[in-house]
Amino acid sequence: MKKVNELKMYSFYVLMAMGVILTGCSEDDEAPEPENEEEVITDVKLIFTNDADAADLVTARAQDPDGVGVQELELLDEITLGIDKSYTLTIEIENNLDSPGEDVAEEIEEEDKEHQFFFSFSADAFTNPAGNGNIDNSSDPMKYNDMDGNGNPLGLSTSWTTGSNNLADGTFTIRLQHQPDVKSATSGASDGDTDFELKFVLNIQ
Amino acid sequence: MGNLSIQTKSKSLRTVVKFIYPISVLLLSVIPLDLQAQMDTIRYTVSGKVLDVETNDPIPYVTVKVKDVDAFSVTGLNGEFVIGGLYNPQNTLIISCFGYSDSTYERHHDHGKRPHIYLKERVLELGEVIIMAGQKKKEGTQSLSQKRLKRKDLASNPTQSLAAALSEVDGINMASAGSNVQIPIIHGLYGNRILILNNGLKHGFQNWGTDHAPEIDISAAHNITVYKGTAGVRFGPEALGGAIVVDPNPLYLNKPFYGTASSGFQTNGNGAFTTIEVGRGYRKWSYFAGGIFTKIGDRYSPDYSLTNSGKEEKAFSGGIRYRHENLGFKAHYSFVDQNLALLRSSIAESGNSLIRAINSDEPIIVRPFSYAINEPNQLMQHQLGKAEINWSYSSDAMLTLHVGLQLNKRQEFDVRRNAEKPIIDLELNTHDFQLEWKHSDWKKLEGIIGFQLFTQNNDNNPGTGTTPFIPNYNTLRYSGFIMESIRKGKHTYEAGLRIDSEYNNVRGRETNQELFTDEYSFNNITSSVGLVREISNNSTFRSNLGTSWRTPNMAELYSFGQHGFKTSFGLLRYYTNAGGELRTDRVIQMDDSNISPEKGYKWINEWTTTKLKSFFTVTGYTQYIENYIFDRPVAVIGTIRGPMPVFIIDQANALLIGADFTWKKNWSDKVNGRLGLSYLWSRNIKKNEPLINQPPLNINYQLTCNLPDIWKIEFSQFKLKPSYTSRQYQAPRTVAPDALIDGSVIVTTQSEIFDFRDPPNGYFLLDIGWAFKAGDFHASIEIKNSLNSRYRDYLNEMRYFADELGRNFLFTINYIFNSKSD
Repeated sequence: MKKVNELKMYSFYVLMAMGVILTGCSEDDEAPEPENEEEVITDVKLIFTNDADAADLVTARAQDPDGVGVQELELLDEITLGIDKSYTLTIEIENNLDSPGEDVAEEIEEEDKEHQFFFSFSADAFTNPAGNGNIDNSSDPMKYNDMDGNGNPLGLSTSWTTGSNNLADGTFTIRLQHQPDVKSATSGASDGDTDFELKFVLNIQ
Repeated sequence: MGNLSIQTKSKSLRTVVKFIYPISVLLLSVIPLDLQAQMDTIRYTVSGKVLDVETNDPIPYVTVKVKDVDAFSVTGLNGEFVIGGLYNPQNTLIISCFGYSDSTYERHHDHGKRPHIYLKERVLELGEVIIMAGQKKKEGTQSLSQKRLKRKDLASNPTQSLAAALSEVDGINMASAGSNVQIPIIHGLYGNRILILNNGLKHGFQNWGTDHAPEIDISAAHNITVYKGTAGVRFGPEALGGAIVVDPNPLYLNKPFYGTASSGFQTNGNGAFTTIEVGRGYRKWSYFAGGIFTKIGDRYSPDYSLTNSGKEEKAFSGGIRYRHENLGFKAHYSFVDQNLALLRSSIAESGNSLIRAINSDEPIIVRPFSYAINEPNQLMQHQLGKAEINWSYSSDAMLTLHVGLQLNKRQEFDVRRNAEKPIIDLELNTHDFQLEWKHSDWKKLEGIIGFQLFTQNNDNNPGTGTTPFIPNYNTLRYSGFIMESIRKGKHTYEAGLRIDSEYNNVRGRETNQELFTDEYSFNNITSSVGLVREISNNSTFRSNLGTSWRTPNMAELYSFGQHGFKTSFGLLRYYTNAGGELRTDRVIQMDDSNISPEKGYKWINEWTTTKLKSFFTVTGYTQYIENYIFDRPVAVIGTIRGPMPVFIIDQANALLIGADFTWKKNWSDKVNGRLGLSYLWSRNIKKNEPLINQPPLNINYQLTCNLPDIWKIEFSQFKLKPSYTSRQYQAPRTVAPDALIDGSVIVTTQSEIFDFRDPPNGYFLLDIGWAFKAGDFHASIEIKNSLNSRYRDYLNEMRYFADELGRNFLFTINYIFNSKSD
């Protein structure tokens, strides 16, 4: 009987001790580590560089300063290009929620096989590419300067030639599609998920 | 007080089947097979042996009386009894174990107040008898409507989720995010509104959102009990809709080496599984060990493959038990590892892709069958360790201490840049200490008093490349409860009270990586009263009125941005500024908000009656929930992806009223049928609008037919189950994403909730099954959706993108081995 009582006592003590140890060990007041947020895009800048004169730059910016918060996206500039000029368009994409900011264009370039830029614009605003862009139809003319590893276009660099006609309050839309396992020679602007879509006002004068 | 009864049915074979359960009431009836013409000249004899289920020791001096007949017997020292000269082939035996003499009573002190009877029948010239003991209901829950599923009910498909296994029960449905992530719904409530207890411990997992299911291995469950009323006093917070209690192997003593090995294959998904469980009970100790491995590939609907819907699961569990006189000790360990795929076509993070996915009749990405599990997918590991000490210090009282530890690791992968990094990487530690005192009867009052200490620690692992979706937090909760019941004649009254005090400490990051912290506490008193009335020998009425509560979970408080295809902001992530505009630029402190925990009041009534060969159960309930948390649309905002509808999480009051109806009838000796019907009406009464994702009306009928034996097959049962689920007519209005994106439908903070797609049409399904036994092998063949119906389930999130599974053949074979007993 005494042995049983002892056993009972010891078992309770052991369990109590376990309890204290277990709860003791788990105390921590740490916060999660800060992360390099790679998913969010807050700033996109379109830079049209005149092929004939590197100092002649046209930039247009779009900004959603709080990322996924309720603040609306703002198109800060209009695109105003000159007539009869050839431009190379390059794109800067950043996440500036934290500082320093994160260069998202670099991530896109690293995963070029899963991304493609598509464009649409007022019909015949450019002599090259002609038409209205390849968002509605992926086989419409578009001048891509860069390719991914599979030989499909990417679009971080594209070429544009304006004609001699003026254009006021036209539109220029750029859309980045994320197309993992979906991108192919025939995939288009509605395949995959839209990482960003920006509709700028286009003027040619 | 000490009355026990066992219910029996006869079988056509002569082997004896033994069922061991702790029982409170036993009804024994003997139905011999070979009925002769002149029934009145035949006399029947029933005999048996009464043993203690825990130790297998015989119990002498037990009075066994035949109901309504002047015949009885008392068990001898070997626990055996014989009653002869009975006129009726069907009899009810009432077995009383309490004392007509002091010496008898004293004997029972050693075995506990309720001797658990294990009846072993020796057949004399009659057909044999199956004894199915009615399981004892847990203290404090007798007035709650409840249903128990036993191991054999789950055997035909041990790969299914907990929710799928339970959806057979009326009033229970399943909310899902595809075939692999399924959560149970009790009377319209799910997620944090259902408490899931695994092995006596609240299952400590990331219980938020509609795409997180508990990591529970069904193959290791010996019993699953569903409580359909608020079982909050007994089990704790979050039991607003009810509670699900999963019990493992009970580790019976004095059980010769036994085991079950099963394997199965299913055609839809080319899935296979293997499971094994072995155990042995000695005189003073016992053990069991078991495991399962499951691998299923992409499933298919009648028309196309559901790309990325496979799963892989490994689980292991084991336990030991030791007993020394009136001191018992049990320890359990279980490990579950899951890799669950989510439908590839359900990824839609921008308005464009949501429009395309929802408007498409077929999923937009369909690839040939594969076992590969790619993004989006979930990887979980759940470990549970539990120790229990119980001390029956007197014949009718027991003190129990439970100590539990759980470790839950979860990683979720999404289709994103750098897809090899998880978007969610969490570790959740849960500690549980419970002390329960089942006190001796005091002035006819039976009851239990308990104390609980519960702590949880959630940590985000770094390296996801995305802001943590929910913060790091510590939760500490102290609880105390008391449940008492008293029996007066034909009535049993129950009442209970519980006090919970919960403290939370939160540390998180905003999207600009700034730190935010908070500390808050909630206290609550939960109560319940209930009544059980035995209206007659055939009818029982039970009624329970109870309250329950839950604190908002971390996702409801701190969500910020996209999860799945919805962008929502948690209760503490938005506010309206002086100009009445919605702002999300800072985190609100709990003390500055007017957030309250959800509080539910549920009144559930159940009436069961047996009439001739029919058995009816009618359950009616109504539930009012204060501060009901839900998400509602507030605006369409211009985002960098284009215009997107945005939701906020809000609180309102909800009312739910429903009924379940079950009718079982034995059409003949061999054929029986069961009709089930359940209906729920619900509404957000504060805003006077519907609630979303509520279960629609369901009617099902199961016809079971025992077939004659052929060749080596000793037992054979054919099952037919048609069911109809109607369209949900109470669904919110539909607003197509196109209309939102192009601005033709305006959404403001006053807007009524909406759904992106009409609820699917009603559908009819037919399941067929055949189960049989040959020697030690049990096998079953089941055809689910045998008509290959094309349908979508309103409660499945994937209904926006794809149809449900087409025809599925499931083949299962079990080998059950029991060493020959004494």
